[in-house]
Order: sequence, then structure tokens, then C-alpha cells
Amino acid sequence: MLEIENLMVFFENALAVNGLTMAVNTGEIVGVIGSNSAGKTTLMNTVSGLIIDMRIKEKRKGGERITVYGRISFEGEDITEASADARVQKGIVLSRERHPVFGESSVIENLKISGHLRKRSEIAETMDSVFELFPALYPLRKRKAGFLSGGEQQMLAIGMALTVRPTLLLLDEPLLGLSPLMQKAVVEAIVNLNQDSGITVVICEQFARPVLPIIDRGYVVENGMLTLSGTGAELMDNPEIKAAYFGI
Amino acid sequence: MKKRKERIDRGIKVRSEDVFAVCSWREMLYLSSPRWLPVFIFLTLPLLLGPYWQKVMLSVAVFGLLAISWDILAQTGMISLGQALFFGMGAYCAGVMNHYFGISPFITLPLAAVAGGAISTLLLLPVLRLRGIYFSMVTLILPLMLVRVIEATKIFGGTEGLSGMTPLPSIWIEIYLIFGVLTAALFGFRRMLTSDFGLVLKGINDNDRSVTNAGINIYWFKIQALFIAGSVGAFAGAFMTHVYMFVGMPVFALDYSILPIAAAVVGGPGSLAGATLGACILVPLSEVLRGIGGLRIVFYGAFLVVFIVAIPEGLFHYAQRKYHQFERWVEVEK
Repeated sequence: MLEIENLMVFFENALAVNGLTMAVNTGEIVGVIGSNSAGKTTLMNTVSGLIIDMRIKEKRKGGERITVYGRISFEGEDITEASADARVQKGIVLSRERHPVFGESSVIENLKISGHLRKRSEIAETMDSVFELFPALYPLRKRKAGFLSGGEQQMLAIGMALTVRPTLLLLDEPLLGLSPLMQKAVVEAIVNLNQDSGITVVICEQFARPVLPIIDRGYVVENGMLTLSGTGAELMDNPEIKAAYFGI
Repeated sequence: MKKRKERIDRGIKVRSEDVFAVCSWREMLYLSSPRWLPVFIFLTLPLLLGPYWQKVMLSVAVFGLLAISWDILAQTGMISLGQALFFGMGAYCAGVMNHYFGISPFITLPLAAVAGGAISTLLLLPVLRLRGIYFSMVTLILPLMLVRVIEATKIFGGTEGLSGMTPLPSIWIEIYLIFGVLTAALFGFRRMLTSDFGLVLKGINDNDRSVTNAGINIYWFKIQALFIAGSVGAFAGAFMTHVYMFVGMPVFALDYSILPIAAAVVGGPGSLAGATLGACILVPLSEVLRGIGGLRIVFYGAFLVVFIVAIPEGLFHYAQRKYHQFERWVEVEK
């Protein structure tokens, strides 16, 4: 479904992603595991096309020059230079890091805003499924999104990505700053999403423990380079992963 | 082979970064010439110009000071749309002292700078807690309000203003005084902004809650920044009073609020040198365009738009980058 070949991303002279090659097949949950500054967010931004926007802005204000090399193809089509909105229309949707929501709008309005590409009936339908997926959001649906807790905002952010009806959902650090209970709820929701709606999911996380059991395949990234890849079970049994991410 | 453009520091910049720069004239020249250049220009240019352009230079320096004053506030996170408040306060303070009490300009100038800064700070004190556009709106309104107050109450000469101020002894004293102050403000406040005090001010701009969390009373620091910026603007106003030998309602005009912002944006916001550079470009430009007649403002506006679109980072930052760094094509290593 998604193929990334030899991707290199430079921020001025710093290499954020170095020769990364990975593939995502339809219907999978793929994990990208890496510590801080491994290049996970850059990877997500590059796949979702946000980096093209960043590149233009930085260029205009004379800041860091962003250079992207390599090839990203989605369903056989080269999308390396496609803009972020074009990619969303193709079905690649990113739920960004630190759960950005429209703070001044209510939960329902947030879901409507993000789903504006779809028909009204479809939005209503997905909205129901979002509330089914995250029952905790239902009582809060009239509340301003800025007043929700971090976990609730995270659920809303994932819900907002879902109302676009993606075929490929990218989740950037969905567990950041959540309590273990909340993490469990989010992880369960991701599994449900994948099994019931058949959405392909890519999760970027540095907190590997709750993520590794649910992924079909995983990639471990360090300093922008791929160091390990394998199925979820393989990665969990790997002694290096155990030492680095489980602290055993 | 794929290539990408690389941006790296010039060798001389790296060599002149540490103490060994003092071993070589070239490195010392590299470091000091950008600082000496404006001083040199300010010293020699008045000798080469005729009386008309000498007057233009006075207004360059005055708008330069106002732009510096705007930039200090902007770096503290207070976007002011009312530099005319400081300018007018200083102008009226100097005018009143000179007109009613006959105090010499050499005493009214520093006194008016301090008093004008203090009064402006007091006026803005109640709105110090406002942030962003709300603070800007108040600063925009205040000078416009003061004009009407003077018009309605007829204090300080009302609509006719006060005239017959004592001028400074000669044009040379005027020029070298104002350019001395401009240079002192430029380098002095630049140094202030890199000191610990300046770091707190920049921190307030960046994230005022974190500054509060560090146990610092941000309002006290904002008051200090307001007073400093206010005094700089008030000095410019007081100086203009003595140059024109007149003070009246035009000192609160919108020009004194808008032009400094345009100067700072053209020159490069976030650096005092950029603000000064912007004033050095915009004020003479507006004089040159005077020959065109009615379309002057159109050309002026078009120039501003082109400039802001082409070099949004500002001329100073662009020049600084070109001075320190160069670009070359390199092969992406495989």
C-alpha cells in the first residue's frame, strides 16, 4: 500500500531521516519504534506531506533548508512531491503529535470540521462510530475541546482523523502523556479500528511496551536509520529491544 | 548522483569565533567592520550632503530611534501600534519645559526623555496585563485620544501648539547629537538585550508563563521595558521639538506609529540594527519619491509589499546570513 524507498530528509545540514526503506501492506498495523530525536515525527510529516508545507515556509523566511530525497509511493502512485491536502484526498491521514484540536470549538464541531471532505450523512455515520470507539467522548460532545483532558483530546484527535475516512491512518505518538489506563483504551481502540473498519494503521511511538503486542510488523529507528525490523512478536523477543525499551 | 545545496559557515567566521581572532588583522576586521560601518557612515555622510538632505538625515535618525523603541517592545512581546504616544509625550514635555520655563534644550532633552518615558509608562500601566492584539489596540488609541484632549481642553496652546522654542545652536550639533544618541541606543540596547536582563525580556516574548514559573515578576520587567522604549521614543520627540522650534498636535500623528513598524519589518524584526537599517532605507526613499507627486504613496506601498514578499526575514537578517555563510552544491552521500 505504502512504499518508502531510501528516504532522506535534511534539515539544513542535519540528516533527520537517513536512507529509510519500509513498506506497509493493506490491513496491517505497523509500528515505528524509536527514542527521542530518532526521526519518527519527521518520517510522519514526510509521509503525510506536511514537510512540503514546512519547506516552503522555511524557504520564505530564509530559515533551515529542508531537502527530501527518495521515493514515497502510495498504491503504486508516486506521491513524493504531492501536497498534504492532495494526500489526504488520496486517503493518507495523519493524527499529529500532542493531539492538536480546535480548542474554541466543541467536540462535535471538531469532528465536523475535520470531516468536511465527506458528505453530511457520512460524517454523521463516522461520528457515531467514533463515539462507539471512544465512549468517554460521548458525554463531552458539547464541551469545548480546549477544556478536555489530554487523554480525551488524544481520543478526539484520533476521532478527527477518522472522520476523514482514511485508508491509511498515521498516528504520531498517540500515547504521549496518557495514563496507563487511557493508553490501554487508546490501544484497544486502534485494534478495533483496524479489525472492524479495515483501516491500515502506522503508529509511531517511543513507548514500546503497549504498542508491540498489537502490531503486525515493526520497524525500529535510531538516528534516522532503520536498525531492526520484524513482526511484533520477533521484536518483543529481541534482547536489544528488551534492554532498550522495556528496561529488562 | 543526486546533489543538494549545502549552507555552511565561512572559514573566516569560524576562525574569528574564538580569542585567536585577535592574532590577525583580517579576522579582527571581519568582526569589527559591520560595527564600524554604520558609525563611519553617520560621521562622514553629513559632511557630504547639502542642507536639505541633512534635514532628511535628522528624520532618518528620529525614525531610527522610534524603530529601535518599537523593536525593544516587540522583543518583550508587546506589539505597539502607538510609537506616537512616546514621541508626542517627549515632544510636549520638552515643549512645555522650554516654552513656559525657558529651560535650555540641553537640559530639556534628557529630562523630557525620562519624563516622557515615565508618563507613557504610567498611561500604559493599567493595560500591562493585556496581551497581543488587545495591548496593540490600546497603544493605537491612546495617542489619538490625547490629540482630542489637547484640542478640547486647549491646554499647551491647543490646536495652535507652542512655538518659538529655543533651537539647538547649529545644524552640526543637531546632527551629531542625534546620530550619537542613535549609535549609543543601537549598540547599548543591543548589548542590554543580550545581558541577563535582556534574556528575561526575550523570555517574556517567548513564553511568559514559563518566565513567571521561574519566579520572575513579568509585570515589573514589562514596566522596565516600557520605560526604556518610552524614553527612547520620547527623546526623539523632544529632539524634533527643538529642531522644528514648534510642538503641536501633529506629534501624535499616525505616521510616527506606522513608519517605525514598517522600518522594523523591512530591516528585519527582532534586531535593533535591522530596525535602524529599515529607517535608513524608508525615510530617504519617501523623500526621493516626493518628486513623483500624487502617486508617491502608491509607489511607497508597492515597494513595501514587494519587499515583504521577497525578503520576509528582513534585509538585515538576509545580509547577516550572506556575510557569515555561503552555499554550495554537494553530493548526497550514499
